[in-house]
Formats: sequence, C-alpha cells, structure tokens
Amino acid sequence: MASTRDIRRRIKSVKNTRQITKAMELVAASKMKKAQASALAGRPYAELLSDMLAALAPKVDGTLHPFLQPREVKTRGILLVTTDKGLCGPLNANLFKLAAAIKDDAKFVVIGRKGAQFLARSGRNVVANFGVHDKVPFKEIKVVGDFMMDQFLKGEIDTIEVIYPQFKNTLIQESVHRPILPLNNLVEFVANLADDNADESPRKAVDDRLMIFEPDAQTVLEALLPFYVNRFLYQLSLSAKASEHSARMVAMKTAKDNANSLLDDLTLEYNKARQAAITQEILEIAAGQAA
Amino acid sequence: MLTLEIVTPEARVYSDTVDNVVIPTVEGEIGVLPGHLPLLSQVTDGELRVAKGSVIETLVIGDGFVQVQGDKVSVLAEHAIEENSIDENAVEEAMQSAQAELQDAKNSKIDPAEIERLESVVRFSVAQLLIKKKRR
Repeated sequence: MASTRDIRRRIKSVKNTRQITKAMELVAASKMKKAQASALAGRPYAELLSDMLAALAPKVDGTLHPFLQPREVKTRGILLVTTDKGLCGPLNANLFKLAAAIKDDAKFVVIGRKGAQFLARSGRNVVANFGVHDKVPFKEIKVVGDFMMDQFLKGEIDTIEVIYPQFKNTLIQESVHRPILPLNNLVEFVANLADDNADESPRKAVDDRLMIFEPDAQTVLEALLPFYVNRFLYQLSLSAKASEHSARMVAMKTAKDNANSLLDDLTLEYNKARQAAITQEILEIAAGQAA
Repeated sequence: MLTLEIVTPEARVYSDTVDNVVIPTVEGEIGVLPGHLPLLSQVTDGELRVAKGSVIETLVIGDGFVQVQGDKVSVLAEHAIEENSIDENAVEEAMQSAQAELQDAKNSKIDPAEIERLESVVRFSVAQLLIKKKRR
C-alpha cells in the first residue's frame, strides 16, 4: 500500500487541478452567457437576410453579379472557424474531421490558432490566418469576409465554404460544413436554414410578380450580396464563439466532477492507510510490552 | 393589411400588422400599401412612419435594405429606434464622441470599415435629432 505521504501528495495535486478546472468552468460559464445571448439576438437578422435572398434568387438574372454565377470549381475556398485555446472538449476535433474529409487541394482560410496549427500539421494550403477577439467585433469578421470575396472575385478560389461549430444549445454543438458562394443553390440552402430554426413559424410569402429594384438591380445586388456574406459570416462566428464557451464549460464541469470523485477515492485510501499505520503501531507497542 | 418587420443586428425592433408604411430609401421616401409590387431597395437614414388605424408611429432607422414581398415588408437596418425612446442628450453625446473618433480615425487613416461605421453612427444621430426637433 502506498504510504500516507504519497497519497497526501496526490490529493494535493488533484485538489489543485480541481481548483483550476473549477475556475475555468466559472469563467467559461459567464462568457458563455454573453456569447449565447449575442448569438441568439443576431439570429432573426441573419434569418431575415437569408429569407430576403431566397425570395430574390428566382427573380434576378444570374449574370448580373459574379456571386450568382455558377462556375467550374477548380479550387475550393474553405473557411475553418476554430478556437484559439484548447480545453474545450471534442469541439475542435470534430471540426478537424470535417476539414480532413476535404481531399482535393482546397485553399484554407482559418480563424483561430487551433485550426491554424492543425492545417499546418496536415500540410494543407493555408492562404490566410485571422485572429478574432473574444467579443467578436463585426469589423474583424468583415476583414475575413472581404478577403475571401476578393479572392473569389479574382478567381483564386471558386467557392466560399465554411466549417464551423453550430451552436444548438449548451450541450450540443454541431460541426457544420456550409457553402456560401456562389449563391446559385440559394433557395435550397435557405430551406435548410429554416429547418435548423424550426421553432420559427414559416414566413414564406409567395409573390410571382416582377420585382422592382431601386435604384436598379445592379446597384442593389452589389450592395446586398457582399453585405450578406459578411453578415452571414458574422452570425457564424457568433455561433462558433457561443459553441466554444459552451463546450469549454461542459468539459471543465466534467473535469471538475472527475477530480471530485478521484478525491473521494483518494481520501478513503488515505484514511485506510493512516488507520492501518496506527493499528500497526499499537500492535508493535503491545508486542513490545508483552516481550 | 401589411406585415411589417424591422430587424437590426441587435434585436427585432418591430413586428406587427400595419395599414401602410413610409420608408426612407436612397431614392426618396416610398409609401407601401397592401398589394404593392415586389420591391427591393436600399434604406437610408431617416424617418419611417407606420400607420395603424388612426395611429401613426414613427421610428428612426439607418442604413439597410427593404424588401416587399406579397404583403410582407421586411426592413433590415443597421440601427433602428422608436421615436419615443430617443434620448436627445444621449444621442448628442454619442454623436460627438463618434465625430471626435472619426476625426482621429481620418487623421491616422485607420481601417476604412471603422470610418464607415462611425459615419453611419453620426448620420443616424443626425436623423434622430432632426426628428426630435421637428416634433417640437
């Protein structure tokens, strides 16, 4: 049996770990609340924007804007949204699985240090690497969106796709691979989006009359489409951030619970060892007297 | 009846059925009545008037898009506030700090996106103040 001192040392170290995980859990919990609130608050906006585009899609001429034109896909452009820090359960690993499933030589743009490390390790073609603060300011996402759209327009990449953790609730975050550009399959995609948010009542308005664009279709599309991409990426990032904090909180809670049960076992063992030592001593004294 | 929905990135500001609505767009104010043709236009900073029976509600909105589809009017705006909840002092303050920042930003030539954002704050503040003054 391990000596009491060894056990005491282990108890101390487990206690330290518990303290750290507990603190991290609390921090993640408070950040999670904020991140979830902003992810949920932004949702109606993103939905309405998607609805708008869905209603628009069948009515505009695809040749009006490069974002609407289907083109031959040579190089896929993939945005991988990950976290900067680890200790958030299987969140990043799930994203990496999706990223690893992409076989052809796609170009990657990555948000978050973990994703950058993964892509560098697996020898992928990373064209850019962005960091985003914890509060997810819109301007930081706009930089990412503008960069990708620029690449898209130049023909460096032929699609814009995103891999990110979609926030469902505190316990469930789903890794999603979602195409953004070109928008030719927009209608289908918005239908999927509506499924994701099934709690909302369907708001489909059918109106097949000709659509008026003011000032004109070109101008409106040129303003709306890039705006849409940026806003959409923004909503994704909010969702990713909420997922990150939720995943971390859950992971840390599990770690804390594990530390607690380990501590219980160790304490029991320690008490037993101590009692055994005392009994031993008494026996020795008694034996000494008898002799 | 029209269904009007006004949404900003922060919240859903307005969602109700109304009789008609007047929206400030880049081409001037447009009035939307039931049965309007489908429309997509850009919204600019200004006053959005909603008529519901004999009541007229006023909101100030800034920067965005409006889509009319069937009898549904969707407004996506960067900012939106109901007239009654405008606090002139706060607006004045926000405008001044934005203007000061804008000056700094222009001098140091930082991120154009940031400048754009500040300008939009200033424009929105001006629109709010104008409407408050008009009511007096």
